[in-house]
Amino acid sequence: MNEFNIVLAGIGGQGILLAAEIVGAAAVRDGLNVRVSEIHGMAQRGGAVVSNVRLGEKVLSPTVLEGQADVLLGFEPLETIRNLGCASRRTLVLMSDERVPPAELALRGIKYPSLKEVIDRIKSFTEDVVVVEARRLAEEAGSSLAQNSVMIGALAGTGRLPVKARILIEVLKELVPEKHVSTNVKAFKLGYDSVRKAYKEV
Amino acid sequence: MPDLSILLHDNPGKRVLLLGNEAIARGILESGIGVVTTYPGTPASEITDSISEIVSKTDLFMEYSINEIVAVEVAAGAANSGVRALTAMKHVGLNVAADMVMTLAYAGVRSGYLIVTADDPECYSSQNEQDNRFYALLSNLPCLEPSDPQEAKDMTASGIEISERLELPVLLRTTTRVSHTRGPVVYARLKKPKMKGEFVRDVRRLVMVPANSRPKHDVLLRRVEEAKRISNTSPYNRVVRHRKNRELGIVSSGSAYNYAVEAADLLGLGASVLKLGMTHPLPQTVIKEFLTRHKKIVIVEELEPYLEMQIKAVAKDFAPDVEVYGKMNEQYFPLAGELSTRLVATGLGRITGKRLPIDFGKIDEKYAEVARDLPSRPPILCAGCPHRASFYVMRKVAGDEAIYSTDIGCYALGIAPPLHIGDMMTCMGASVGTAEGMAQATGKVAIAIIGDSTFFHAGIPGLINAVYNNHRIVVAVLDNLTTAMTGHQPHPGTGITGMHMLSERILIERVAQGCGVNYVKVINPFKVKEATAVLREALQQLGVSVVVFRAPCVLESVGEKRRKGITVGAYKITDKCTNCMACIKMLGCPAVIVEEGKVRIAETLCSACGLCASVCPYHAIEGSCEE
Repeated sequence: MNEFNIVLAGIGGQGILLAAEIVGAAAVRDGLNVRVSEIHGMAQRGGAVVSNVRLGEKVLSPTVLEGQADVLLGFEPLETIRNLGCASRRTLVLMSDERVPPAELALRGIKYPSLKEVIDRIKSFTEDVVVVEARRLAEEAGSSLAQNSVMIGALAGTGRLPVKARILIEVLKELVPEKHVSTNVKAFKLGYDSVRKAYKEV
Repeated sequence: MPDLSILLHDNPGKRVLLLGNEAIARGILESGIGVVTTYPGTPASEITDSISEIVSKTDLFMEYSINEIVAVEVAAGAANSGVRALTAMKHVGLNVAADMVMTLAYAGVRSGYLIVTADDPECYSSQNEQDNRFYALLSNLPCLEPSDPQEAKDMTASGIEISERLELPVLLRTTTRVSHTRGPVVYARLKKPKMKGEFVRDVRRLVMVPANSRPKHDVLLRRVEEAKRISNTSPYNRVVRHRKNRELGIVSSGSAYNYAVEAADLLGLGASVLKLGMTHPLPQTVIKEFLTRHKKIVIVEELEPYLEMQIKAVAKDFAPDVEVYGKMNEQYFPLAGELSTRLVATGLGRITGKRLPIDFGKIDEKYAEVARDLPSRPPILCAGCPHRASFYVMRKVAGDEAIYSTDIGCYALGIAPPLHIGDMMTCMGASVGTAEGMAQATGKVAIAIIGDSTFFHAGIPGLINAVYNNHRIVVAVLDNLTTAMTGHQPHPGTGITGMHMLSERILIERVAQGCGVNYVKVINPFKVKEATAVLREALQQLGVSVVVFRAPCVLESVGEKRRKGITVGAYKITDKCTNCMACIKMLGCPAVIVEEGKVRIAETLCSACGLCASVCPYHAIEGSCEE
């Protein structure tokens, strides 16, 4: 493996940093070299959040170069668009359909774009788009707060991540709060299966 | 917070994923440091938050000091009494601590002492992006600069060794991309700290009156010579890539090194790379050899041309023919903002004439097309944040008539629409003093906005100044009972320490009274009517008035309710709503949204603060903020 780059994008409170840590820690346990970038503090309060996970022997920089993402894991449609700069034709966009309208929309009286509009914009970068029903699956697992585990499961379900799903689940169990472990494992599996299924249909 | 007990595993050789700051915390445990002090600040906070989290399972002492200079003072006292110490702070914290640090360099230390400064290129969460390597040059103190979490840990231990050998404090300078990057870290053995030391009286060594300072300056300069020898043989200053090609050599340090190597690979440059990890004093001999071996030298560094200036001085004396490229004359790399592999590759491309294999311009063009008119999502005050209520009250009472000087903390977000509160902000505590000058110069009402932790940190001298010099200002202390922005650390007003011990709770209102302020009131900002009346009264005062707007940070209060199993019931819009949009136009709460032209409350975001209900002119918002 040369290198594998993941960009995780969404908003503060969606558990993006934890998701990135889980992928990173699982990769280390699987013997890989890893860099995970995070931004904290002022840049986090309800605002856009981006984390990068880079896997590969020669990886040094914690940030993914423009156009070089293997997977763009979008936790929110508008934030997925905002991070398309990391994508190219070879990028897989895995996007949650969970829409969180930014405050500016209400103040300016503009509408949130439809899912079709969002997908059309993504398609000008890459045809490889899979929409994940993160909220529905997380609620099915027991809590809407488990959407990040759905998304990690979905990432594993693509079969492209060079980290074993078994190790991802092992690390997820260690890093999520004890009383939420079973919900999150279930959410992971639902996310995993949904993407496996989507791939079969294609 | 994830389980940090992983930092306590005494398992040398174990390889784990750690945040750069957690790696420094591990480094503290591996180097026998006994006293850890800090004032929290992004991107440094997790170093000491990690230590506080696990402190009860260790022998060491940690404290959240009132500010950075006091943090250095406490640590310097310990390090001159036989106990190893470390102080962590963000870059601008070193400005606060500088008075102590500059002269501590003369006095020195007996036990190892490391000062961590976490710089923030790109101002991700800071008011400036100053390059603190210049503090090393200014103070003559040695400086280590890690590139990744592994080095951050290793250099913590090495820094303590160097400090003890030279009897000087050592600076460890990280940046956001080191402190907030996770990477694999291999453990060394834990080292039990020596917690009891002895103070040996030595007036000539430690009391910096002029007669003692003069000879101590010479001592310091001799130590710098010794530090140069350490730097020249340091494993952190080494040629990491030897290439036979003598055409081009790259010199780099810190986060920039990562970009430099990746950029060189991207362009397929067969360049040797000199990595500098001890960047003060620079390893002159190592640099001299590297310069003389190459025709062209490229210096890749973030922010100021700190290395370039010094390397050019070496070149002038020892390798006058070498061509040096960087950012001093022609800017091959930007002086402002953080670097990236792309920026470095672009600069290297210009210098070498090599073409970039990726057409970044085309990607930018395409991106601009899809991201056009994309609504921004800047950081905002949380739903239920008490500051929103305080700002609403200020806007209602004083509106645009007042000038609002503001300060460092979440409440700086008050500048966002629709609240628009905040006319000048510079550094910790400055709101108070600047309000005084504004009131003096304009005769207008000036309201200084300052948080609780910031008030303790640097607000008190300004307040005393206002009373003493008869300034007419209102100081609004936005007291949310925690240091919210940096991750909810305790402070003197909370009555809890970093050791999780109870201490005397210091009340801001009593401090204000003690400073001679006659009008001091404490109000709950969510009680809008009462708060409005108090602020009106405060504005009528002839001298200084202090209004403490006190309500807990919503992240804390909602978290507490959840832990107790209390459900937070969201407010609801009733059919009395006329869609007048007053709530939207006045508050900008992220939980109050507009869907299909109608106002709705997002139940997952609402924390039931009730502010929207108290401002709705039609009483169309219902709910209960009772517990």
